[in-house]
This record gives sequence, structure tokens and C-alpha cells, in this order.
Amino acid sequence: MGIINKSRVKSPWVVHFDCGSCNACDIEILACLTPIYDVERFGIVNVGNPKHADVLVVSGAVNNRNKRVLKNVYDQMPDPKAVVAVGACAATGGVFKECYNVLEGVDKVIPVDVYVPGCCPKPEAIIDGIIKAVEKMNQRIDSEKKEKKE
Amino acid sequence: MIQTLIIVILIIIAAPIIGGILSGIDRIITARMQNRVGPPILQPFYDFFKLIGKENIIVNRFQMLYVLGYLVLMITSLVLFVLKQDLLMIIFIMAFGGVSLILGGLSVQSPYSRIGSHREILQMLAYEPVLIFMVVGIYLQTGSFTVQSVFDMNQPLIYSLPLIFIALLYVLTIKLRKSPFDFSTSHHGHQELVKGMLTEFSGPQLALVELAHWYELVLILGFIVLFWATNIYIGIAIALASFVLEMFIDNISARMTWKWMIWVTWSLGIGLCIANIALLY
Amino acid sequence: MESWLVVVSILFPIICSLLFLLLRSPVIRNSIVIAASAVLILTSLGFAYFFGQASIDLHDILGIELNEIVAVLDFALLAYIIYVGIRLHSRIITILALAQLIPLAYFELTYREALQRSGALFHLDGLSIIMVLIISIIGSLIAVFSIGYMKKHEEHLKLEKSRQPVFFFVIFLFLGAMNGLVLADNLLWMFFFWEVTTLCSFLLIAHDKTEESIKNAKRALWINLLGGVGFLAGIILIFGKTGGVLVSGLLEGNNVPSELVLLPVAFLCFAAFTKSAQLPFQSWLLGAMVAPTPVSALLHSSTMVKAGVYLVVRFSPVLAGTHLGFMVALAGAFTFAVTSAIAISQSNAKRVLAYSTIANLGLIIACAGIGSPVAVGAAILLIIFHAVSKGLMFLCVGTIEQEIGSRDIEDMDGIMKKMPFTATVAAIGAISMLLPPFGVLVSKWLAIEAAVRMPVVLILIVIGSAFTLVFWTKWIGKLLAVNYIKKIPREKLHPTVRSTLGILLVIVLAASMGIVFLFNFFVSPQFAGITEERIMGGRGLLEIAGDGVIGSFAYFPIFIVLGALALSIPFILRKVSPEKVRQPYFCGENCEIEGNIGFRAEADTETPSAFRNYYLRWAFSEETLGFWASMISAILIIVLFVVSI
Repeated sequence: MGIINKSRVKSPWVVHFDCGSCNACDIEILACLTPIYDVERFGIVNVGNPKHADVLVVSGAVNNRNKRVLKNVYDQMPDPKAVVAVGACAATGGVFKECYNVLEGVDKVIPVDVYVPGCCPKPEAIIDGIIKAVEKMNQRIDSEKKEKKE
Repeated sequence: MIQTLIIVILIIIAAPIIGGILSGIDRIITARMQNRVGPPILQPFYDFFKLIGKENIIVNRFQMLYVLGYLVLMITSLVLFVLKQDLLMIIFIMAFGGVSLILGGLSVQSPYSRIGSHREILQMLAYEPVLIFMVVGIYLQTGSFTVQSVFDMNQPLIYSLPLIFIALLYVLTIKLRKSPFDFSTSHHGHQELVKGMLTEFSGPQLALVELAHWYELVLILGFIVLFWATNIYIGIAIALASFVLEMFIDNISARMTWKWMIWVTWSLGIGLCIANIALLY
Repeated sequence: MESWLVVVSILFPIICSLLFLLLRSPVIRNSIVIAASAVLILTSLGFAYFFGQASIDLHDILGIELNEIVAVLDFALLAYIIYVGIRLHSRIITILALAQLIPLAYFELTYREALQRSGALFHLDGLSIIMVLIISIIGSLIAVFSIGYMKKHEEHLKLEKSRQPVFFFVIFLFLGAMNGLVLADNLLWMFFFWEVTTLCSFLLIAHDKTEESIKNAKRALWINLLGGVGFLAGIILIFGKTGGVLVSGLLEGNNVPSELVLLPVAFLCFAAFTKSAQLPFQSWLLGAMVAPTPVSALLHSSTMVKAGVYLVVRFSPVLAGTHLGFMVALAGAFTFAVTSAIAISQSNAKRVLAYSTIANLGLIIACAGIGSPVAVGAAILLIIFHAVSKGLMFLCVGTIEQEIGSRDIEDMDGIMKKMPFTATVAAIGAISMLLPPFGVLVSKWLAIEAAVRMPVVLILIVIGSAFTLVFWTKWIGKLLAVNYIKKIPREKLHPTVRSTLGILLVIVLAASMGIVFLFNFFVSPQFAGITEERIMGGRGLLEIAGDGVIGSFAYFPIFIVLGALALSIPFILRKVSPEKVRQPYFCGENCEIEGNIGFRAEADTETPSAFRNYYLRWAFSEETLGFWASMISAILIIVLFVVSI
């Protein structure tokens, strides 16, 4: 399994889901693709399809209206998968926390591996978050395997 | 017999390595053209192994069959090519592989994948005649349909088939699904068809599709080598140069519509072929 | 022995057909159908077993003047057609039948003695035996299929009195006549059987007696009668120029220079074009699709329309290397390209099949017109493979139509779920029409290799092949589309329907695998009549014999690869567990509506997902292409006559 685990870290394909953010986080996420940050150095590719993705990057405050869609997109990703919540809104609801329709963070709908704090976070932080999420995913797989053996 | 077997095994192992490295180079050069650093050269292999290790999710049970069909038929046609068999049959078997993948795309009831597959059918409609005309041109020069006969020639084919060579380069862009003809399975993230024909293939299925693409790439570059088969190194150099040219075209052009593609391929591509064949008479 | 086989293969079905008129009990009728089919299949296999070039003179065996009998029957037949024309108030049918009757009567009476002297009446060779095998095996299987089909068909029509006796009467009459047509050596006999098949076709198209079916039957009748007039003109001209009416005498007696008979052969080709529904005569075959599906399968794809191409292939030694041959090849290739293009725009499954049939017949005619050994070999192989695959496709469409009540390809979306057996058989049938290593494609491959010396024909064939790929692929895609189902259901089919579909599928696969055998055994001996200098390009063929290698293309490895793939199916199906199933991607708005896939549209309404195929009607519809195609092909036919004078 060594080569597959190594490949996972080297090739996290990302699908980006925007739960209605103010677009600041989205701009930072897309900035990662530009020549300055060039996430493809790490093998990160932004795909438009959850079925091809390994990491779900969520931005914005998830609400009652779009949580169903978020869940559907998450469910359509093949295992192993990881979720990165980008920005304060995705982590806790941010400034919209008190709104009548807003849930308090993405983790109320789907399990989140990495929270990237900030309003909005820097691209470096987002890249770091994605890589961390994949490493965490690998650790999880390893520990699950050990449990199975025991 | 044993020698043949060794060649077959060798090509089955070597082709994906060559194809993978070539697409790695493709990604790096593309990145450099966009003023980026780009991924490591082995990136396609990382992607491949990662996809192999993923969960095999499905929409229906038969998807894997179509993917395997695509892969196996691509390997078969490449093996036949390396064994210097009948070119026309190689192209037909390659088409069968393509049809297998299209059927996989059509078999899931998703509009994205189906529209992508239909576009792929139209791509085949566009390039298939040009490939057959290429073989006919080769026949008119060598008097045989076999690859062997091309290697037996005294002078490179490109002297007598220059227009067909241009048409082949043009078709190569369609066959490699590069811009301006990347509408059946876009290699860019966000487009109107998500990932077109490949939308519903995921995990190991996608990995095998990628693997088959590598075989296909090697086979298509093999066709180009045929045009300078008297000295195979020059042929390979020409093939690599054409590949770089394709990357260049890919990066400087925007996507066109399929109507435009059919119109141009049928008028220009087939026109070039017919003109070249007419010159040979 | 051969002469008895000939008698059985022609007379036995005709006797059976008369029995159907007398015995009205369904049980007896069905058992006779099955028994007669078995006899016919055995007879045809007998032909294959005693295979050899042979001329048979039945003149002495029965002790009656057979030529006279045929002449009388011919007059009776034409008189009946005139009666039909008058009863249906169709002036054109009456006129065309009279245009045959009067010259025929004059001809037969004037040259009575010379005609009676004509020797061998039947001629056996690879081509005619292949045709007998196709007619007897495919025809009998379709007749058996009809038992189950017609039962359901009449239930659906709510007929008070079953019309099956007439149906099976005509079907078996047709089988006998068709066997006679391909075995006959005397052109006048051939002409008689030719007209019988025309009449059978008319009766079967009109079988349902709806307004549309009668209208289409009338059109089929007059177009075929027009061809009959051409046939008769050809016969009279041949007699005038050579003093004989025997095909074998014409082709093998080297005393006749081919330039002399070009014009009559042009007339025969014209007759073949009408029978095989080549452009611009395609309309009758499309209209014939109103007939019950077994009729379409039997007459209008696998056998009767093959009579036309049989005639052209038969005369291909005359055509080879001449301007007439080039024009015939051009007209055939033109039909192939245009009708394949029109087939893209059709969503009615039977019309797609009809256009594809016309296209393939065009390809066969193109090969026959080229006339080189490779080309004729390709033509004969195409006759075989097209007959089995297209027969199978029609039967599948008929079965599907009875189940879902529609013959529209769009309605076949997800048919796998309801009718897995039929859908799989249909998909394999369609694949066998399209892809390597199945016979149709291998013959097409031979055709391209043969056409390489005629660039115009070649271009048309190549373009037509590309169109073929489009319409088959999108149809197969519809047939095989399926979302996840836990257990594949077993569909209910009438036993005769299921068994014939199964047997035909086996024949399709076996024929493709046995292509080398078929070629060496039946097709190669055909080339003795073609002289050396007319061979235009014969490379691939020379290597076809021997150890299963066609050209330089290893044939069996492909089957091994595909076989391995087929064997992997159970493994692939078993490996997948229901937890792995995901709905297709709909941007996260996917939902399930009664087991079907859908999505939430605006205001959360659950909308079923639907996708229609591309038909490209702006480019390929009958309206855009039909008129100009008919015009051009009419000009081609005129030129064809001009060059042959």
C-alpha cells in the first residue's frame, strides 16, 4: 500500500463547494491556481466533479437550504476522502452565525478534517490545509487497518 | 514465436510508462507556458496509483466492462501495430475501443456524460475518415496495408504524403482531446459538461481510462513515426515534435463548437487527404 | 442427389404453404411450420454437404415440359397482378403489368422452340448455395419466430378471425420462390420467381389491411414491377444478342464478348436496383416497414431484397473492369453513403434498420460493380453477415415493440431493465453490424481494400462507414443504458421467440468466427470465372486462406481478447456491492423517482432525468438530403445506361 498512500499525498484532487460565501474565500481558493501559488506543484488539481475528487473544499456558511446539496456532493465522493472547511463561516458560521437560517459550521452536516481559519485565509494556509487533510486521511486509513488486524 | 511474445510483453509494459511520462512532460510544458512551475514529471503516475487505491463507486454494474473493453482493445491495437500488422484493421480495433468507452458514457443516465459521449461520437465521425484515408494513401505508396510494408520502403512516406501528414496532425488534436477540440472530456476543471463522457467514471475506472489513454497516445504517435520509418529515430523525433506542437496548439486556442470541428475536418482534413491521394494517381 | 435437393427446396415450402390454406387449426399449423423449417434447414445443409459446381437439368426427371409450365404460371401471375391493379384502382400497376405481359407473351410465343431447347435449368455454385443457406436457415427461423409474434400481434389487433393461414401461406410460398430464384439458371425462370417474390412482398406489406399498409404495398408493387419490366427487357436483349437465356452459358461460355451484353446487363442491374431499393427507389422499402416485423426481417432485409444484389453479384464477371461496372459501383457506393447519413436522423428503429439495409445493399452492389475477386468476396461475405445480423436486429426490434408498444429508439432508453435478454441480444446484433472482428466489418474492410483502385467509390465507402458508426453507436448506447438494479429480472417471452433469438445470436457469432471457413469453402471457388487481367487489386485476399489469418491481420486473437472480456462479465457484476452505488452527478440536486434517476428543479420539484440522442436533423434529414440524393442517383442510373450502349 506504500505507493498508493504516497500517491494520495502527491495527488489530492479538489472539488470546491461554495455554501454561499461572500466570495472572498473563493477568490483566495482560486488564487491558489494562479502562477504565483501554482498548486499543481503539489499535484493538486481543481476538478468540477465530486466523483473524481479526494478533498472537498467548502467555503461559506452552510444553511438549511443548501445543506442537502452539500451532503449529496459529499456522498458522491469515493472513499477515502477528506473535507477542508475554508474560512470562519465554514468553520462556525462566522459573522452569520446568529442568522435564523444558518447552521453553525460545515461540521453540522458532514465530518470536517481540517479547519482553515481566517476571514479570509491566505492561499498558503489553504494549500497547507489541503495537504494536512490528505495526510490526516492517510493516518486514518492506517489506523483503521490496524484496528481491523487487531 | 518466443521473440514475438517478448515483444508483446515488452510493449504492454513499456507503452504506459512512455505514455505516462509523455503526459507528465505535457503537464510541465503546459505549466511553463502559463508561467507556472508545474507538477513533477511522475505526476500522472501518482494520479494513477491514487485512483487505483480509491473506492470503486458505480452508477450501474456494467461501467467497468466498458472501461476494460476500452483498455484491452487499445492494448490489442497497439500490439498489432508493433507486430506490424494490417493498418486498416488496427484503426478499426482502435475505433472499437473508442466505441466501448462511448457506450460506457452512454450507459449511465446522466445528461453530462451522455452529451459528452455524443460529442465523442461526432469526434469519431470527424477523424475516422481521415485515418482511413491515411491508410489508403499508405497503400497507394507501398502496395500493401501492413505496417511492415512501410518499414520496407526506401524513402520516407512524408515525401509522397505531405498533405495527409498535415491532416493527421490536425486529427491528432481531436484524438488527444486537446483544445480546441476538448469538448467531450474537458481537461479543465469547470465546464458546462463537468467532465463530459468521463463524469461518471471514478476511482479505479478512471485510472484504467487514463492507462488506456497512454496506450492510445503511444499508438497515435506511432502513426506519425510511420511517416519517417526509414530512420526510426528521425521518425520518433518528428512524433515528439508533433506532440509539442499539439501542446502549443492546446495552450493558444480556445475551445470551438463541434459543428465547427466537423465542418473544418470534413472540408479541410478530408480535402487535404483527397488532394494528396489525387496527386498520387 | 442434388436434383432432389433442388426439388425439395423449391416445391416443399410451396406444398406446405398450400397446406396452411387448407388446415386452419393453429396447433397443426404451428407444428407444420416447425417441421417444415427443420426440413428446409436440413435440405440447405444437404446442399452444403454435397457442395460442388453442378448444373442440373430437371427437364428429363419429371418428364414434363417445365419451361411451358413456368410460362403458363408466369402469365397467370401477371394476370393476377393486373387484377390487383384494377381492383385497387391503380393505373400504374396495371400498366406496368401489361408492359410485362405483352412483350413476354410475344417473346415466348415467337421463340417457343428455341426457348424449350435451353438446357440446364438449375445451376449450383458457391453463391447460390450460400443464398439457399441464408434463405432456408434464416427464413425458417423467422417463420418459427412468427408463431409467437403473430399470436401476440393478432391479440393486439383484436382480430375476430385469424389471418395467420394467409400469412404463413405467403411466407412459405416466398421461401420456395426465393430458393427457386437463386437456384435457377434459366433467366426466364428467374424472372418468374422474381415476380412471385414481388407479389409476396405486396401481400405481406398489405397484410394488416390498414389504409397506410395498402398504400405502401401499392407503391412497393409498382416500383418492383418497374424493375420487372427492366428484367424482362434485359432477358429479351440477351436472347437477341446471344441466342440463349442461360446465366451459366452467358458467364462461362467464353464465346460471348462482354461488350455485347453490357446493355442487357445494365437493364438487369436496373431491375436489381429496384428490388434492392437503391436510391432513387428507396421509398418502397421504407414504406414496407408497416408490415409485421417478421416480414421486415425476412423479406425486407435478409432475403428478398438480396435477390437484387444476388443478380448483380451473379453478373459481376461481366461488370468487372467496364465502365458499366464503375457506374454500378458508384451508384451503390453513393446509396451507401447517403442512406447511412439519413439513418443518423431517424429515431424510428425500423426506419434506421431499413436505411441501414439499403446502405448495406448499396455496399454489396458497389463491391459487385468493382468485380475484382476481393470485391466479389467482400460482396458475398456481406450478403451472409448482413442477412444474419439484420434478421436478428429486426426480430429484436419486433420483440421490443410488442413489449413496450413503441418502435422509437428514444423509448428504448433503459430497456435493459425490463427486457435484459432481448436488449443484450439486440446490442450484440448491432455490435456485429458495426465493429471488428465481426463479419460485417471484416467484409467492409475487404471492401475498402478492394475499392482502393477506384478512388471515388472508395471515398464514398469511407464516408458512409463513418456515418454508420454514428447511428449504430448512439442506438446501442440507448439499448445498454441502465441504472443500478439489484436483480436482473427474467423477461417473459414466447418460447419460439426466445429460442429463435438465441439461435440467431449463436449463428451470428459462429458465422463471424467461421469467416475463414466460409470464405475458403464457398467464396473462393467463385473466382474461377474471373479472368486474370481483370483482377484489380487482390493482396489481402491471397493471404486469407490458410491458418486463420486474413490479410496480415490475426483474426482469432481478437476473438480471444473479446472472449476474455465476455468471461470477465460475471466477475465484474459480482464484485459490485449495493453500498457502492451512487446516483449520477447532478450538481448535488439528484434524487430518485420511483427507481428512476431524477433531479430537483426549481421550487424543489422532482424532475425525471431525460436525454434525447443527437439526430442532427439540420444536416441529415430526409428533407434536406432526400431530394438531391434521388436526383443525383437518377442521373447516375441514366449515365449507367448511356455508358453501356
